[in-house]
This record gives sequence, C-alpha cells and structure tokens, in this order.
Amino acid sequence: MDAYFYIILAVGLLSTIICTAAGIMKKAPNDTTILSVAAVELALLVYLVGSIVRVASGEQIVGEAWEFWGYLVTALILPVGAVYWSVLERTRWSNFVLAAVGVTAVVMAARMNQIWY
Amino acid sequence: MTPQTPVNKAENAAAEAQPKDTRNTGPGRLLITVYAVFAISATARAGYQILTKFSEAPLAYLLSAFAALVYVVATVSLAKAGRTWFKVSVAAVLVELVGVLVVGALSIFDSVNFPHETVWSLFGRGYAFIPLLLPILGLVWLYRRRPTPKLG
Repeated sequence: MDAYFYIILAVGLLSTIICTAAGIMKKAPNDTTILSVAAVELALLVYLVGSIVRVASGEQIVGEAWEFWGYLVTALILPVGAVYWSVLERTRWSNFVLAAVGVTAVVMAARMNQIWY
Repeated sequence: MTPQTPVNKAENAAAEAQPKDTRNTGPGRLLITVYAVFAISATARAGYQILTKFSEAPLAYLLSAFAALVYVVATVSLAKAGRTWFKVSVAAVLVELVGVLVVGALSIFDSVNFPHETVWSLFGRGYAFIPLLLPILGLVWLYRRRPTPKLG
C-alpha cells in the first residue's frame, strides 16, 4: 500500500463518517457533507495525476494496466454521480448515499494498489 | 410527477393515479446507489473476464455476466415509477436472491466445478456479503412500497 492509498483511506473514511453522522442526525445534504465527498474526488484526482506521472516516467504497472485505469476512472465518476443523485432529493437518506462514496473509494483504491504492485 | 417528455399514455395515467408508486425515494435512493455500484463493478468485471480469459472458465464468467445483467435491470427498474417497473424489480431481485443462494451453495459444495470467482461465490464473501444482504433489503423495500391494488 502506498501513500495514495493512505490518503484515500483517511479522506474516504472521514467523509463516510461525516455523511453517516449527518444522516443519523436527520440532516439533508449540506456544504459539509458535499465538500467531504468533493475531498474524496480530489484525493482520487491526486492519485490519477500521480499515476500518470509515474507511468510517464517509466514505471511499470505489475497487473493489468487497463484494469487499473478502469478502476480509477470508475472511482472518479462515483463521487460526481452520488452528489448529483443526492441533490435531486435532499433528504437524510441522500447523506447515506454520499456516505457510500468514501468506503467504496477506499475499497477501490485498495484494489488499485494490488493491481499496481 | 410532471412528465416533460411525452410518455406512454397508460403509464402517464397510472403515474397520476398513484403518485406514490415509486421506489426511488428515501431509503430507496441508497438502495439504488448500492445496486448501481454493483451493476457498474459487476459489468466491468464480467466484461474483463470474458474479453481476457473466457476459455479458462466459461461457466463462471457467463455467470458473472448474468449477475451483472441482473444488477443492471434491478438498478434501472428500482429507479423507475409505475406498476410494470415494480414487477420487473421484484423479478430481478428474486433472481438475484436465488442466484446468490444457489451459486453461493455450489461454490462451497462443488468447488471443483466452481473454482473461479464470481460476485455470488461464497455468498458474496469477496464483497463483504453485500450481494447476500442486498436482495433481502430489496424485497423488504419493494414490499413496503408495493403499488396499491387497482380500483375497479
């Protein structure tokens, strides 16, 4: 596991905790929960840029390269989709939708690390 | 419930008669989100398996593709309003439940013929047993949001 994974682990879990807590407190999605998901997206973008730089500088992905990029691109779409889906109906349940993004990103980042090394 | 695009007349009438005949609200939105994540990941995984190593385990990978299809149908039908989509949802979720139970059992008792991973292998252990939990929650939700009986 590399630094990219640990960044996503920290940001993803924090986002999930914030969104779950907001959902339990019966709040609709607000700036805090949406920004926490945006932070997950940012962490994934850092992973994307970092990975492009590493490949460009000659590093080899041990596993299937296109499986890695497939995971990364899917992970990047998830936060955007979840935020869109959650603002369409702003109830407490939408915060649980947002909460799903963080853990999913962590699981996908773990898999991406396995593919890379 | 104000359709901006022209839709099927019968569906339109049904939607107006039963404004509550939707499942994409409240907890249903979370359910649909999880289904969507599974639909995307199962489709990607099955596509990858079939394109790269189909001959290794045709049965397992066809099963992966079938599971992916079930998740896609469940996701779409849960998000749609109306009686027909409700029935499609029930069918998809039941198929999913049977699938995860049968494949889960086969992968344990007949591991020789089912050595390759699918979403439903070992009752979805590789996915934190969410594939086993999802159809149960799905059926509970569908029951709670079942369409009211037709009047007349």
